[in-house]
Amino acid sequence: MQENRDRVRTDRNTYIWTGLGLLIVGVILVLVSVLILSSLVWLTALGIATLIMAFILLALARTIPRVTPEVSMLLLETGIDNIATIVEELGIRSKPIYLPSSLTGGRPQALIPLHSNPSLPKITGALPRRFIVRYGAGPDDVGLLVTTAGTVAAGMLESTPAPSPVPLESALTSLFVGRLGAADGIRVYAIEPGLRVEIRAPRIQGVDTWTHQCLDSSLASVVASIAAEAWNKPFVVAKEEQRGRTYTVEIEAVE
Amino acid sequence: MKIYNNYVITVASLLLLTTVVLAAIGANSLDVYYTFYVVEALIVTELYVYFKSRARRSLTIVSAVLFAGFMVIVLSVALKVLV
Repeated sequence: MQENRDRVRTDRNTYIWTGLGLLIVGVILVLVSVLILSSLVWLTALGIATLIMAFILLALARTIPRVTPEVSMLLLETGIDNIATIVEELGIRSKPIYLPSSLTGGRPQALIPLHSNPSLPKITGALPRRFIVRYGAGPDDVGLLVTTAGTVAAGMLESTPAPSPVPLESALTSLFVGRLGAADGIRVYAIEPGLRVEIRAPRIQGVDTWTHQCLDSSLASVVASIAAEAWNKPFVVAKEEQRGRTYTVEIEAVE
Repeated sequence: MKIYNNYVITVASLLLLTTVVLAAIGANSLDVYYTFYVVEALIVTELYVYFKSRARRSLTIVSAVLFAGFMVIVLSVALKVLV
């Protein structure tokens, strides 16, 4: 952990020291231009441009995340591996159903039915906030209600997107590109019978991880959870694959 | 923080390019340089809508300071015209 703390300081210092360096260079350029070179306009302007960059860097330095991506990945993988181990040990073959917060009584979570069923379960009322929950009247209607990466990611959004591909694309771009720095771009397409989300140059591992055999990938879980919140309906991940530098996730609403 | 780096590189490249172009065409007024710098910085900042809210707040302060400098230039030009 000490090494990670040092890395955080290093990342912040890169912006702070660059900003301070540019501040000094900018002041020197302006002073040299005005006092020694009889106000050489382009050199004074270059000094002002350097000062503007210094202010921008110092402003951004205050907002660098305190936790490095490596620490985040460490915590994420630990949590997901533990859940995947439980799912594997219980012999569960069902895929997670991503529920909106209105059906979980708080925040969006994923329900993993203990028994495979050809038809997806229909959940009408809010489930109790427990790990093992009963979601229907049948004797086999029992499942695990787990927290996923999507649960936390949905909480990072400033507002819930409207139930349409464009607002969803905007929300996912804001999250993956702006907030998490986990991808270069997002595209959302309406397809029959759901949505296809293309994540360009993702920096989180996708389909090749061991946990993917038991659960959906972190990228897919974030996409499905945000969509579940937007449409206020349960969603499932129908398909996910890596094509070159683009990771494609297809999701469907559970009617 | 790839988005931060992209933003910084974009603004820095634009400011440097502006300096080179204006110097090449013989612009001899500091007001012109500064006006271009401020407009470019504000436009690029607005285009990066996906910054997190804390970063946007910090950049809004910088934008306000730059805009205040721009208003000083406008007022000084207006005073020259009026007086």
